[in-house]
Amino acid sequence: MAAAIRAESLSKVYVKRRSLREVIPHPFRKAERITALADLNLEVQAGEFFGLLGPNGAGKTTLLKILAGLVLPTSGRALVQGVDVARDDQTVKRAIGFMTSDERSFYWRLSGRENLEFFGRLYGLGAAETRRVSATLLGVVEMEPHADRPFMGYSTGMKQRLAIARALLHDPPVLCLDEPTRSLDPIAAKHLRRFVLERLNRERGKTVVLATHNLQEAEELCGRLVVLDRGRILRQGSVAEITAGLPGRDEYVLAVRGLNTPPNGPRWRLSIEHRDGDLARILAEVDRDGSAFSDLLAAILAARATIVSCSRREPSLQEVFDRMSPDEERAAR
Amino acid sequence: MIALRTLPAFIKKDFLIEASYRTSFIMQAVGIFFSILIWYFVSRVVNAPPTTPGLEGVDYFSYVLLGLALLHYLSSALVSFGGKVRSEQMTGTLEAMLVTPTSIGTIVLGSALWDFLLTSIKVLAYLVIGRLFFGVVLHVENLLPALLVIALTVLAFSGIGILSAAFVLYLKRGDPITYLVASGSALVGGVFYPPEDMPWLGGWSRFLPTTYALRALRRSLLRGSRFSEIVPDVQALLLFVAVLLPFGIVAFRFAVRKARQEGSLVHY
Repeated sequence: MAAAIRAESLSKVYVKRRSLREVIPHPFRKAERITALADLNLEVQAGEFFGLLGPNGAGKTTLLKILAGLVLPTSGRALVQGVDVARDDQTVKRAIGFMTSDERSFYWRLSGRENLEFFGRLYGLGAAETRRVSATLLGVVEMEPHADRPFMGYSTGMKQRLAIARALLHDPPVLCLDEPTRSLDPIAAKHLRRFVLERLNRERGKTVVLATHNLQEAEELCGRLVVLDRGRILRQGSVAEITAGLPGRDEYVLAVRGLNTPPNGPRWRLSIEHRDGDLARILAEVDRDGSAFSDLLAAILAARATIVSCSRREPSLQEVFDRMSPDEERAAR
Repeated sequence: MIALRTLPAFIKKDFLIEASYRTSFIMQAVGIFFSILIWYFVSRVVNAPPTTPGLEGVDYFSYVLLGLALLHYLSSALVSFGGKVRSEQMTGTLEAMLVTPTSIGTIVLGSALWDFLLTSIKVLAYLVIGRLFFGVVLHVENLLPALLVIALTVLAFSGIGILSAAFVLYLKRGDPITYLVASGSALVGGVFYPPEDMPWLGGWSRFLPTTYALRALRRSLLRGSRFSEIVPDVQALLLFVAVLLPFGIVAFRFAVRKARQEGSLVHY
């Protein structure tokens, strides 16, 4: 079975068009070339929640726009459900729902329902079918009470929910979401994340590709992700796989009772985060040499303290970025 | 198939947007009436019968009324395609349409349809007001040949209009050709006065579809000429359509491909 999405040696180089003001003084100067994607290879399986993580200019939106047929690759291939986007973008567009975070992508003087019904026709639905599907989706995204109000009166959260409804009009198996929570407040963002994960990915089995520069969002939603920088993949895999092998120490949170003086040593560093009577919560930063952690536990027990709980703290993706080796950063450049 | 299904949706959408501006229709109707009134009084001052062969005896007001009517179609064909692309780019809705399976050609055509419909209503209003209030005599039995001439004119100018949309997509600006054709048609195309009355500029009129369209239209509707009498003009219009329309379509396809390569399809 073909992967839901596949990129094979995919590259995109934008050639910056020179204005007359630039051409007149330097007529023979070459136009600036900007590499948005460089020899990208990745595969997204059906039903997966896949993340494209990276800062602005990493190439996330370019990749999504290639998948949506808005941009042609310079070289390589992008396939959606086995179909080459550059060869048959019409078939691909039937299989993909693209959600942009641009609020302006609707007709502001039309209602939410009228907007959906118009775009439904563009997805090839008949008049009656469009009305039925629009009504259903307005219910799914909880917009039914506001469906007949003009779009211009909607809050940002409502606009984003309507954008999701539009991306679902033709019931595509693949959803591409470009920073869907970018301008939402934390509560609305959380609501939207839960909706996409539970209702669309888990219940309906949609393959979701999420472009984001929000590290927590990627951690919360994506089973697998790639970290992009300047069009190259720095790392890919699950959050655990991405964070494995990074330089630095492992971190553990210990709840310890009866420890008066933390047993500091050369292979670990302990700091008390919180103390409640004789119970202390300790952050332990430990060398990854195999025995350092067990030696630390032994040292705590030797001090006649009791270990109540112990858990490993995974680094956030911000820390992953910070810890990426200079070699990896150089490779990305 | 999608193309046929979607075209009414464009008209409905544009009608709903237009209707959301409460005074829009009223102001346009008032504008048409004022325009006719102005030319009525101008014709009373001018009062010169046109010198175009085959239009002897036609009064100036009737002559200019048909010129104005066709000028509306001409403007729609020239400006609608590029103008709509530009406005959808600027409002941000073009990208949302381009990610649907509807082809970009259908999107551009569908977006311009409302303008053509509105223009048809305006032209009809011109003719009805002209006949009811200002005594213009129209040979309505020649309506079919007149409609054929209008259709060919719209198709010919649509070629240039589609070329303009290609310029907007690729260069992000309207093209100078559209401006030249629009001004040239108004200047020497026989809209307001016969090109034959312009000794050193009138020769250029033969390179404009407007000349043939207006001559055929006036002969049919104002003089009641038979279809066989306007055949040479219809043939000329067919030639313009055969050249301009494919040229516009090829240029548009080229612009779409280049814009997709550059990633500038929705830039403005």
